[in-house]
Amino acid sequence: MQTLEQPRLDIGEQAFVDQVIADRKGRPGALLGILEAVQEHHPNKYLPMATLDYIASKTGVPLSRVFSVATFYSLFNLKPQGDNTICICRGTACHTRGSRNLLQSARLSLGLGLDDISEEDKILLTTSDGKFTVRTVACFGQCALAPVVEVNQKIRGHVNERTLQREIETIERESE
Amino acid sequence: MSQKKISIRIDGALVDAREGQTILQAAREGGKTIPTLCDLDGITPVGGCRICMVEVEGIDRALPACTSPVQEGMSVKTTTPRLTQHRRLTVELLLVERNHICAVCVSNGHCELQTMATNLGVSTVRLAYNFPKLETDLSHPKYVLDHNRCILCTRCVRVCAELEGAHVWNLFSRGINTRLTADLNGKWGDSKGCTGCGKCVQACPTGALSEKGRAVEEMVKQNERISALAQRRGAEA
Repeated sequence: MQTLEQPRLDIGEQAFVDQVIADRKGRPGALLGILEAVQEHHPNKYLPMATLDYIASKTGVPLSRVFSVATFYSLFNLKPQGDNTICICRGTACHTRGSRNLLQSARLSLGLGLDDISEEDKILLTTSDGKFTVRTVACFGQCALAPVVEVNQKIRGHVNERTLQREIETIERESE
Repeated sequence: MSQKKISIRIDGALVDAREGQTILQAAREGGKTIPTLCDLDGITPVGGCRICMVEVEGIDRALPACTSPVQEGMSVKTTTPRLTQHRRLTVELLLVERNHICAVCVSNGHCELQTMATNLGVSTVRLAYNFPKLETDLSHPKYVLDHNRCILCTRCVRVCAELEGAHVWNLFSRGINTRLTADLNGKWGDSKGCTGCGKCVQACPTGALSEKGRAVEEMVKQNERISALAQRRGAEA
């Protein structure tokens, strides 16, 4: 569970958030766009609690609402992401095509272990060196390609353990 | 009032309604009862609990009475075997979702969920209990939030936003992980926006929100006062 952490935003970050909010002023549903832009700007592609607090105070949107929106959409992360994100679909179609095995093999090959496998909760795990994040989503809407894995914002269809392994190896090789 | 008069049938009896009213409002004014959980007179309906589902002639699926507007010549049925079955299942699902242990609850005997279950004859549930591990927030000086008893009706959310204007509450996350939260998932007692007015407590249908210091069966909610306040506000506006 996340609680409000105290450290304030630095000036540069504040200026960026102010600019993003100013660009979208008066537009209905601006909050989603603001959150997306701010998350994209962050080096670890996530929304720290202090940022949410700042966005709420600047836009006048209630804190509880900002938190509600940020936790409803799986696009938004409240925890820091690694440099590379492997996002495994755990929707029904992908599940029947073996996405649980994909998740487990990804976790094992990245040294994330298989502890605390909770089926209901969405999973977000980052390796200790900060290189990889493995997370799950409910559905990408690409069920015909099941099982689907998103590797660094690119959708891969009909993935099996071997192709997933190869993707990971490619990323590792490129980053060296 | 220049609103168009509409007459609809509810369980065979003619009921006068005005254009723009919902089936539920028309039924209440006509002296008919439709069971509800998430609805609270005076605040915006959300159609979340699905208890108030009614059958409308000519429409295959059941409609929520609290959010469906009345239409001329509508014929509504409020109790059919199908609807009763549906309502029972809904209540059962609510009961298995969290840890509703009536015997030790502050609202035992005054709980809308319990009353609903009794009225529908739900004495046992046919599904496995979920037994989630949930917290109790005792940080507020006057009130207690017990997630174990929450049915996510969002009455507190709406009362806080619409009547108090404090916007302290909201739901976060989704699906079975949905929880009530004060501000950014902080402690209720730390919330800067909370005025401590207690409207959310009075609006809560179960023992999820209660006054501190109440023992079992001692928490009697006064949600008619919320409705009265909403009416006064409406009249002023």
